[in-house]
Amino acid sequence: MPYHQFKCSECIPERLHHAVDKGETEDLTDALPLGYLNTIPGTISERGCAYCGAKHVIGTPMKDVIHLSHGPVGCTYDTWQTKRYISDDGNFQLKYTFASDMKEANVVFGAEKMLKKNIVEAFKAFPEIHNMALYQTCASALIGDDINAIAEEVMEEMPDKKVFVCNAPGFAGPSQSGGHHKINIAWLNQMVGTGEPVIYSKYVINYVGEYNIQGDQEIMKDYFHRMGIQINATFTGNGRFDDLRCLHKAQLNVLECARSSEYICDELRTRYGIPRMDIDGFGFEATADSLMKVAHFFGIEDKAQEIIDAEYARWKPELDWYAARLKGVKMCLWPGGSKLWHWAHMLKSEMGINVVSVYTKFGHQGDMEKGVSRCEPGTLAIDDPNELESVEAMYELKPDLIMTGKRPGEVAKKIRVPYLNVHGYHNGPYKGFEGWVRLARDIYNCVYSPAHQLVNLDISKDEIPTDKGFVTRESLSDANLSDEIKNSTELREYTGAYDPIPALRKKAESNVYTFPDPETGEWRVVPVETLRNSKIVDVE
Amino acid sequence: MDKNVAEEKMAQLEWYITKHCLWQYNSRAWDRLIQNERILTKTKQLLRGENAKDEDTTADKYYWSEAMSLQEGFKRYFPWVAETSKDDIAQILDLLKERMDHTMVHASLNQELVKEHY
Repeated sequence: MPYHQFKCSECIPERLHHAVDKGETEDLTDALPLGYLNTIPGTISERGCAYCGAKHVIGTPMKDVIHLSHGPVGCTYDTWQTKRYISDDGNFQLKYTFASDMKEANVVFGAEKMLKKNIVEAFKAFPEIHNMALYQTCASALIGDDINAIAEEVMEEMPDKKVFVCNAPGFAGPSQSGGHHKINIAWLNQMVGTGEPVIYSKYVINYVGEYNIQGDQEIMKDYFHRMGIQINATFTGNGRFDDLRCLHKAQLNVLECARSSEYICDELRTRYGIPRMDIDGFGFEATADSLMKVAHFFGIEDKAQEIIDAEYARWKPELDWYAARLKGVKMCLWPGGSKLWHWAHMLKSEMGINVVSVYTKFGHQGDMEKGVSRCEPGTLAIDDPNELESVEAMYELKPDLIMTGKRPGEVAKKIRVPYLNVHGYHNGPYKGFEGWVRLARDIYNCVYSPAHQLVNLDISKDEIPTDKGFVTRESLSDANLSDEIKNSTELREYTGAYDPIPALRKKAESNVYTFPDPETGEWRVVPVETLRNSKIVDVE
Repeated sequence: MDKNVAEEKMAQLEWYITKHCLWQYNSRAWDRLIQNERILTKTKQLLRGENAKDEDTTADKYYWSEAMSLQEGFKRYFPWVAETSKDDIAQILDLLKERMDHTMVHASLNQELVKEHY
């Protein structure tokens, strides 16, 4: 597994150990890219900062919270609305973002008084919101503003309000991952153990490292509720502030994105004895195995099997329609931290897609261990690539599409490589069985877009064909398919809703979910009000 | 069982773990060694038809759940697993444990494994 030398980075020799080509016979002990190190001077990294990792990735998906950044308005603005972490109660966390709006004068004379005034104003402007997450930024950290003290003062003067302080300024780590770590530990130290939840099921989990991008959490919640499992709290997508104060009360932590939130799981295991169970919620086989693994823990295998059987029957013919048409597609899988390993093998085994490169901007070496293991020989694995390296890789590998975030996605478009947004999603949710079909559909639409075919013609030099007429996605994708597949009566395109989430919310409102009583084990309906807004009692 | 045959079968099981499992990647060396030991021991016990529950704790239930899931996957992918004798299963799983300890801990290039705190 030799290190990969980018031509564009020959002048930055330190970059050599950040990329490897996965060989046929070597394993992780032969080469592994470096990771989670300070960005090398001279390389233009595409990373986010620690503040962004804390606030944008983990903090803000909490739904009943005023998220206020103590710093210049740009910090909060640039971490607003680029990820669609929706909530089931009106999307307050997406609609509004708050900043103390520090200016030069505040840097000179201090900004604590202004901060306090802004906190009080924000609470008064939204009296129905009783919780705040207060984020430190570079500017306020460098001048030494004591935001903890201000938070304490406010809580003393407004006893019905709670303020959580996140001290993760932008420079508090090599990348956004430093902020993930800081907010994990801060939440654990400040908030966990301060609330007592209503336990309404024999089976209680925390669902950790799940951010409800376009409804991912709500898809998985439906499965867990169908199994009779209470989700004590979700860290943090669609999560309530108060529920998250009760993380210590679950029997099991079910962990999705280990990159962003393994820290809190590891500490909950150490301090409260709650086991950490890592799962994959993407892909049919991975989701089925994950549900069954959770079911093994509680002894409810029959409940998981019912769901797996029903979901396979409903969605597998649709996945297979796309898989037949995506076989052999070349993809660069360039997401943030965890999806490279959640997805690499499932894309190959369930859609026939060849992942030719994986990268992560802020992952650690542990993420690369997973990613490299799960992709096939010949894959190029890159840590923290700069823009020139990404472009060189695309020219060299000639992928049919890349799956990445907004910034590198726009770069790909400029060199005519189709791109699918797998940070905020194109048409998610992508989680679970139906979600995986939606991802397959989006990949299909991306790869076989007739409009995108036109982009490959350069009118300044290419000859424009005049003998080709109207084309559709299907005429492009089916050109070399066998009649057996083309005429199959079993396979079909996606038939789900434009957005499956409203139906799930309506289903919950019909009070269909039953749970076993924690004392008697008797299965009974738990009303939706309890599922969504159960009372949390404050404890010292 | 011949050692070469056992190693070839062990490699198949290792392939399954790398593609389907996440428990082997906990972020510290000591943690990985415990995961390997507890989960692979229980998997071996389950495949040999033995009791794999040691104590009535949530930790033990967790390791057992991972092991249940793993042995189901092994059987699903490799029909020879169900037809292999108890002694041969022990030989293959012991090799697998040795291999996982080597790749994921002792020869690992992951520099975070030795850090003190999470």
